[in-house]
Amino acid sequence: MSKRGTTPNRFLPPKESSLFKELLSLYETKQLKKGLKTADQILKKYPEHGETLCMKGLVLVHMGRREEGIELVRKGIRMDLASHIVWHVFGLIQKGEKKYEDALKSYTQALRFDKIGQENMNLLRDVAQLQTQLRLYDGLVETRYMLLRLRPTARQNWIALAVAYHLSGNLAEAKKVLVEYEKTLKNVPHYDVEHSEMLLYHVRVLEELEQHSEALALLDVSAKDRAIVDKTAIMEVRARLLSKLKSDEAEHAWKVLVEHNPECYDYYKGYMSNQGLNIDENPAEALAILREFSTQFPKANVPRRLSLSLASGEEFQALAEPYVLSALKKGIPSLFVDVKSLYTDPAKLKSFEDIAESIRKDTSPDTSVASSSVSTEPTTYLWSLYFLAQHYSYLSQYAKALELLDLALAHTPTLPELYTCRARTLKRAGDFHGASRAMEDARLLDGQDRFLNTKSAKYRMRAGLIDEASALLGLFTKKDASSPGADLEEMQSLFYLLEEGDAHRRAGRLNLALKKYAAVQRVFDDYEDDQYDFHGYSLRKFTVNIYLNVLDWEDHLRSHPSYIKAALAASRIYVDIFDDPKLASGNVDGDATDAEKKAKKKAKKAQKEKEDAAKKAAAAAPTTSTNEDKGLDVPYKDDDPDGMKLLSTPEPLELAWKLLQPLTTLAQNNIEVLIAIYDVAIRRRKYLQAAQALARARALDSEYPDLHVRIVHARHFVSILPEPIPPPVGPIFIETLGKILSEDVSLETYNSQFLQNHPTSAQTILAAAQTSRVLGAPLQEVEDLIFTTLRDEVQLDVKTALEISSFLKKIKSSRVNELHQALDAKFTLSTAFKTPDELAKLREWVLTTNSNSSSERTGNGAAPMENEAELGKEAGESV
Amino acid sequence: MNIRRARAEDLPGMQACNLRNLPENYTMKYYLYHCATWPSISYIAEDKGRIVGYILAKMEEETAEGEPPHGHVTSISVLRSYRRLGIAKKLMLRSQESMATIYRASHVSLHVRKSNRAALSLYRDTLGFEVRDIEQKYYADGEDAYAMRLTLEHD
Repeated sequence: MSKRGTTPNRFLPPKESSLFKELLSLYETKQLKKGLKTADQILKKYPEHGETLCMKGLVLVHMGRREEGIELVRKGIRMDLASHIVWHVFGLIQKGEKKYEDALKSYTQALRFDKIGQENMNLLRDVAQLQTQLRLYDGLVETRYMLLRLRPTARQNWIALAVAYHLSGNLAEAKKVLVEYEKTLKNVPHYDVEHSEMLLYHVRVLEELEQHSEALALLDVSAKDRAIVDKTAIMEVRARLLSKLKSDEAEHAWKVLVEHNPECYDYYKGYMSNQGLNIDENPAEALAILREFSTQFPKANVPRRLSLSLASGEEFQALAEPYVLSALKKGIPSLFVDVKSLYTDPAKLKSFEDIAESIRKDTSPDTSVASSSVSTEPTTYLWSLYFLAQHYSYLSQYAKALELLDLALAHTPTLPELYTCRARTLKRAGDFHGASRAMEDARLLDGQDRFLNTKSAKYRMRAGLIDEASALLGLFTKKDASSPGADLEEMQSLFYLLEEGDAHRRAGRLNLALKKYAAVQRVFDDYEDDQYDFHGYSLRKFTVNIYLNVLDWEDHLRSHPSYIKAALAASRIYVDIFDDPKLASGNVDGDATDAEKKAKKKAKKAQKEKEDAAKKAAAAAPTTSTNEDKGLDVPYKDDDPDGMKLLSTPEPLELAWKLLQPLTTLAQNNIEVLIAIYDVAIRRRKYLQAAQALARARALDSEYPDLHVRIVHARHFVSILPEPIPPPVGPIFIETLGKILSEDVSLETYNSQFLQNHPTSAQTILAAAQTSRVLGAPLQEVEDLIFTTLRDEVQLDVKTALEISSFLKKIKSSRVNELHQALDAKFTLSTAFKTPDELAKLREWVLTTNSNSSSERTGNGAAPMENEAELGKEAGESV
Repeated sequence: MNIRRARAEDLPGMQACNLRNLPENYTMKYYLYHCATWPSISYIAEDKGRIVGYILAKMEEETAEGEPPHGHVTSISVLRSYRRLGIAKKLMLRSQESMATIYRASHVSLHVRKSNRAALSLYRDTLGFEVRDIEQKYYADGEDAYAMRLTLEHD
């Protein structure tokens, strides 16, 4: 053994050599126990055999003994740096840790040492997947090309190369590969779905190359031969191509599509744009076409609804009447949501109101049957009340809405929709507790319905009843999950994570809020990782069209509203922590009541018990008695159950930036995002980023109140820097700022001008107060300004009032209670500004009424009746 | 309302709709698997960009020798607030048509909780499915399922 000395310690005598081969095949078939035994047999004689050490390490990781396994892998690499096997193993481990760049480096290293090329295929395939995951498309083309050269008989290798060219932007080469591939094919059976997908892909490449005639020819011949079997796809692509070719046949092709699926909006749109009709410019012609379609497909909703968007005046009235009437007769609950988007036109809004009011009148039980011109169906009356309640609620006429709901409930007390509408109305009016109670009433009418369950849980969270919300959610989550929330998190419920995060944030429990927002972030990380396997799978299945769509979706993943919401909320907390580090060390319980603190203690204890149990289980697990494959992916370990690590992070801005960074390209037109980017960038001293965000935001909405605060903040920030920002950044920053706001204007003047421009907007007053604070105005002056939002002429809603309250708390004003008293008096129905004692009572009230059966529900109307009386006052004032 | 084939970007909306409506939920990877394997048989209903209903479907992979291929509905649901518009039926018909023409499916199968009367009535009375079998303890919580099927017509 001493002879080997410095040369790689790879040689094994025949017996061990065959054992090693066995080890490899045992690993392939995941016979882990046997594999481990075999590895140990080799290592007994050759304890420094690098490849065996690595394989043993790999097997151990699969068995769940990760740390021990990785230790061995590292040792194995050191023993045999020139082995392709050790690098391949290392690459697999890194891939499991989602370190795709590192894994790719290891694979590249492995390929360098694989002189014989036995492993080449597997290695190259893995490299291709990594390159796709990392969007390294030029490298991908090379890899796919090598794979095709190694095995040209594998059909998927051709498609894979074409797709690689496509992704790298080289459509012409993609086409060439497809043509070559098709030449190699013999005897393709009819109705071969894979071949059909490939041909559709070929057509698509031609279409993207704008070779429309060629694309159409291929499509038509393939459709005729039944080589493409997807009829819908044939019709869609055909219509599109014919339109692009300005063919006379196009009109018919679109018509065929509409006949095929009269509920698909895109087909009508395609039909019209093929006729050269611009919906905005030629509404009359478009309406005529839609009328024809409506006659042809009397049951289809799309043409009738689309007509409502296009028509106006008398024509609109004539279309809207039967539309509303038929929906109310059928009792379609979504009618209001359906037409709401037309309310941007005040005339249409009025029309809907008049139509529904007139139907209500005609169908009312008070109206004599003889005078009824439309229908005597009692349910039509009910649904008209429901529609009108939603209508007035939407228009902030809460009293009127609630009055109608009372009428409806007297008529039919068992329709959950009436309670959900009441709940939404109360929520809008700021009565979060009454809203929660109403939503629970809805849920109690149909306990089997998860939709109502979810709604009621959401409304409890809005009322700050987080544990009680969780209890409801638990009625539908898996019983063996450690908590309802744990199941919902595992099932990637973004809705739940955001609602609970927001509820914690509102209660001042920033740690738990951050925890939920981080969970949202992780869901998106998982969505992103999910695609990895499909880089191989989709090509083997030949479903390349949808695969390209998947890649594109993944590239824009974080433009999803839930990600943006979580990123914004978390980054705002991080910025607050940076500005005031005491937030992270101080009272994290926020406004928690004693009961909540107790509950939290209990939860903490339960969590600890759970962790201890998990630890015990983990300690017991690493035995070699099981063959169970735990895979190579690092399991998620929660080492920060209450979010304290997130809250006390030494680098809050870096965490915030990590969340916002993807949005710099994905949400460029979102002013809230731009403002958040500014807030983080200026504090990280990334001046150009900050200036760019301001300039972009200004282009979107120069009068946006939050932007106003930042513009002044930026100028002020520069003015108090002890030394100017060095070039080249400094001058560019100053210049950009100068373009936004001239240096000649004093910031105080600018602020008061802004206030004067919108004197009755509460948002503006709040922004002006925040700006004064930035400029160092005395607390009293800022407070006085804030209190002007209470004036009668100022338009103030509950949402803004809550923001104003948080601002006062943030600047440590002593007048928070005074403000709350005034707001409570102003918003008579709202429970948002009650004292802690009143809130405790309200919480009790919500929950005690919840357990009531429906018969008790009517008897318990005292509290809401009072509310309604008050509500009447409020509505009277504001309408 | 707009009814069309599901695309990759619809998957989060389908997942959200499913979580709101049904007790059987899946992680994104399962949705992706359906979409990447049988891209043309899942459909969605959307209202101004919001997914209000979906059908997530697959082809049965484990069929006996000689048995013709058949489709399977993994999950179908419509938000409560969008009921009575016939959305479920429209989604189901679109999916069936694609199963029949693309995969030559002879029939389509699905499972429903024994206690879910509303769904049972939709499948049986509105969509014409028949109960073929009862699968004991099919669901994680121990509830039995009706195994239902509908024969598909071919031209």
